Amino acid sequence: MDPSDDPRLIALLDRMADRALPLAEREAAFRTLYELSSRKLYGLALRIVGKRDWAEDVLQEAYLQVWRVADSYRGALSPPLAWLGMIVRSRAIDFLRRRTSERADTALEIDSAFEEAVPGDAANPMDTRQASEAAWALHECLRKLESRQREVLSLAYLRDLSHGELATRLQLPLGTVKTWIRRGLDQLRGCMSRFA
Amino acid sequence: MNLMRSPELADRVAAAYALGTLRGAARRRFETLARQNPALRAAALLWQERLSAMTELQTGEAPSPNVWKRIAIQLRQEADAQAQGARARPAARTGFWRAAALAGGLASVLAFVLAAYTGAQLSQLSATPEIRYVAMLEDDRSAPAMLVTFDARHGTLTLKRLGSFQEGQDRSLQLWALPAGAAPQSLGVVDRGTVVRLTAGEGQVRQVPALAISLEPKGGAPAGSGPTGPVLFKGALVPTT
Repeated sequence: MDPSDDPRLIALLDRMADRALPLAEREAAFRTLYELSSRKLYGLALRIVGKRDWAEDVLQEAYLQVWRVADSYRGALSPPLAWLGMIVRSRAIDFLRRRTSERADTALEIDSAFEEAVPGDAANPMDTRQASEAAWALHECLRKLESRQREVLSLAYLRDLSHGELATRLQLPLGTVKTWIRRGLDQLRGCMSRFA
Repeated sequence: MNLMRSPELADRVAAAYALGTLRGAARRRFETLARQNPALRAAALLWQERLSAMTELQTGEAPSPNVWKRIAIQLRQEADAQAQGARARPAARTGFWRAAALAGGLASVLAFVLAAYTGAQLSQLSATPEIRYVAMLEDDRSAPAMLVTFDARHGTLTLKRLGSFQEGQDRSLQLWALPAGAAPQSLGVVDRGTVVRLTAGEGQVRQVPALAISLEPKGGAPAGSGPTGPVLFKGALVPTT
């Protein structure tokens, strides 16, 4: 699948939301949407929560939410995969918060999952094969950052972490994290402004 | 810090807001300012939109087939529960239909009042327009931002700005039709005046349930691309007859 499949995903979301259609047809559209997008979205969930069984729970919750709110996609005007990605991200962040508040020892579990999920200095850890134009621009700009700055920015966003949380999890001084984020964001701002 | 005086600082804080690293009192201050200042709100929306692309860049991996099985089971349970609820509560369903009919009645009264109002307003601008559709586009706080009317006689969309929003010098607003089951269609780039007119055929707005305005690079999104920036205003398009 690539961005040229966007119209197909949009048509599927419309069919899912169309209550005039028989339920079986709406469910068939849902199934096809799942087949086209679940690989990408599972990768995202896994990157955020860090464990396969957790990512599966998140994916299940996220798709059921997509089924219930498919009619609100129309008003979003985002590329369909970005819209689906936002739903997975919020479900994944909720999942991590719930785990942390439920059991104290989970914090430790999340930390070790976090370390597994943080790749080393991979030259290009991102995948643009299914990306929209906006994602391609972001990818080009992130690629110009130092890999550690890119990692910290990505994790801050994907897991919704504060400076302090990032410092604890990455075992870095708070000042270092703040500097990396500030410099990374400044460079990103300069670069993204060229893409409008 | 005075965000209003420094566009550079405003953009930096908007980016940190969207990334999520702006926290606590600073975050609440930013939110208060953004509610009062559409340019700041637009900067934050633009950054949220840009960063949301991060979710598309992660490496894919096939989930276990069990995930779909679990989804399908839950779907089935919800459908069964709904069917049972429908049988058990006929009175509640009658109430629902009565409420829906009432809401439909209200919408057509609103459309009629809007049409009468705009018809009177626009008579000074163009000779006897035939207003077939109206839309009130609202911002994310549901405040009216733009009144759009379609005059079938002249093939004109007239946009009247109602809020105080003014796009930056390097940006343009663009109007989109949101047809059911198809990608957004551009109706044109909106220039900076208080009342703006665009040429449109009735076919471009007929059976379109909603319109939206997005913030785009100056001159609008590349032809055929669909919207590239955040949606600032949107609203239902209502036929007047």
